[in-house]
Amino acid sequence: MTLQKVAIIGVGQTRFGNIIDKKAEELFAEAFLEAVNDVDKGIDISEIQEVYIGNSGVGGGQLGNFSSLMTDYVGLTGASALRIENACASSGFAMRAAILAVSSGVCDVALAGGEEKMNDTPRNRVRYWLGISGDMEWERLSGMTFAGVFALMAIRHMHEYGTKREHLAMVSVKNHKNGASNPKAHLQRETTLERALASPMIAYPLTLFDCCPISDGASAVIVCKADLAKKYTDTPVYVAGHGGSTDRLSVFQRDDVTSINSSVVAAKRAYKMASVKPEDIDVAEVHDCFTIAEIIAYEDLGFCPKGKGGKLLEEGQTEIGGKIPVNPSGGLKSKGHPVGATGTGQIYEIVNQLRGSVEKKNRQVSGAEIGLTHNTGGSGGTTVVHILKR
Amino acid sequence: MAHVSIPSYWKTLPQRYCLIGMKCKNCGTINFPAREICISCKQKSEFEPKKLSGRGKIYSYTVIAAGSAPPEFSEQEKLAGSFPVAIVELEEGLRICAQITDYEEEDLKIEAEVEAVFRKIYEEDKVIRYGLKFRPVKKRKSLP
Repeated sequence: MTLQKVAIIGVGQTRFGNIIDKKAEELFAEAFLEAVNDVDKGIDISEIQEVYIGNSGVGGGQLGNFSSLMTDYVGLTGASALRIENACASSGFAMRAAILAVSSGVCDVALAGGEEKMNDTPRNRVRYWLGISGDMEWERLSGMTFAGVFALMAIRHMHEYGTKREHLAMVSVKNHKNGASNPKAHLQRETTLERALASPMIAYPLTLFDCCPISDGASAVIVCKADLAKKYTDTPVYVAGHGGSTDRLSVFQRDDVTSINSSVVAAKRAYKMASVKPEDIDVAEVHDCFTIAEIIAYEDLGFCPKGKGGKLLEEGQTEIGGKIPVNPSGGLKSKGHPVGATGTGQIYEIVNQLRGSVEKKNRQVSGAEIGLTHNTGGSGGTTVVHILKR
Repeated sequence: MAHVSIPSYWKTLPQRYCLIGMKCKNCGTINFPAREICISCKQKSEFEPKKLSGRGKIYSYTVIAAGSAPPEFSEQEKLAGSFPVAIVELEEGLRICAQITDYEEEDLKIEAEVEAVFRKIYEEDKVIRYGLKFRPVKKRKSLP
């Protein structure tokens, strides 16, 4: 069977943040309508045959038949639809499912998206919910939190490679700087190294400024067969490669906690499919749920050798203007992390970067031709990587 | 808020109370917690119970700060404020995730020797869940 090449023809995203005046389906509709309007030569939404929506179900609002609620509200009734749940990587995997649907030849046009509403849920319920995408029976029953699991990775990374708390804070400073010029970011303000280091401890060595915020938001991406793309838009972005993978759910049972193997494997598959190397990537959005996760991602994705993530930051190579700009959107840290909407939110950013259509020029990576997204579920139980080309 | 149900908890009591690992008869790897498909050789194997020593070293650790503990640990949080959680590498080579207890701040470091102790973990649905925590192995001062 010959696989069809896939193109992205429209992307949309709400502002991420504490959005109290919109319900889940209204958030999704906002992102969806923006994606439809983004298809510059127009599209009739009845052409969308397959729909995949990422949602973790924080707070447990509509868990059953979530996809029907969403498609019904935006006028897509009749399309086949599926809610995809892979914790924080839900919509990254929804994206991959939409790509697979088109590339298999099953449909011409598919929609991937994500939605999460986290702020209208009682605090204790969010705290309960957030910890249960890792290992429940042993890690969680040790009183472990999500920040705690990533803190275990950080302490070990510091021990083995000499990474310092300052390196963690540098991720925070860089991403807040980028997010400060992103009108759709949750935390649109800069911070300093001193402030990040002095902020309250959450799980040693991670402080508040090492952790992403709890956000609401939605995102949507319309994909089609590549040979149909020019019918819909003059500026399609092509899917060059993708890969998904899993790792052991519990961090304590992994051979090496300073790396997330699902990232390594997913990236390897995506690079191979796209026939590119890490050094060919011009811009990347990576899963920085905690600052240490971004440092580990540099190493797992091959942007630097193992253990050299801190050095890459010191050299400023992942800033806009550096060798490999990472998280020009502000990343999860500053742009925000509405769990189920994050994956397709990363696609939204990279598509705009490759088109050169980022709304503020200081955030635009100039001349970017190949971009990568990296979306991890929980503490690394699942990861999906996409490589996009102009 | 049922997190791990009482039947599920009971099923793992030999592990939680007595540190019983399951040794794969195919490759010899100790699986902890128990599995049906061996974590190492990935075979559907026979397993034999193996009592673990409970002695080991801290492989990595963190301190869950006051105000950020999971809600079911809020009582402990109220009493103790922050509390440390570690990955402990046991003498037998496998790793386990548990709280560190009866500690001083300087005890929290990678490679520090620890031993398992039986403790209350938390209470849920009016049932106290017991299990193991680890405490530093102190060098005892010899008597004069």
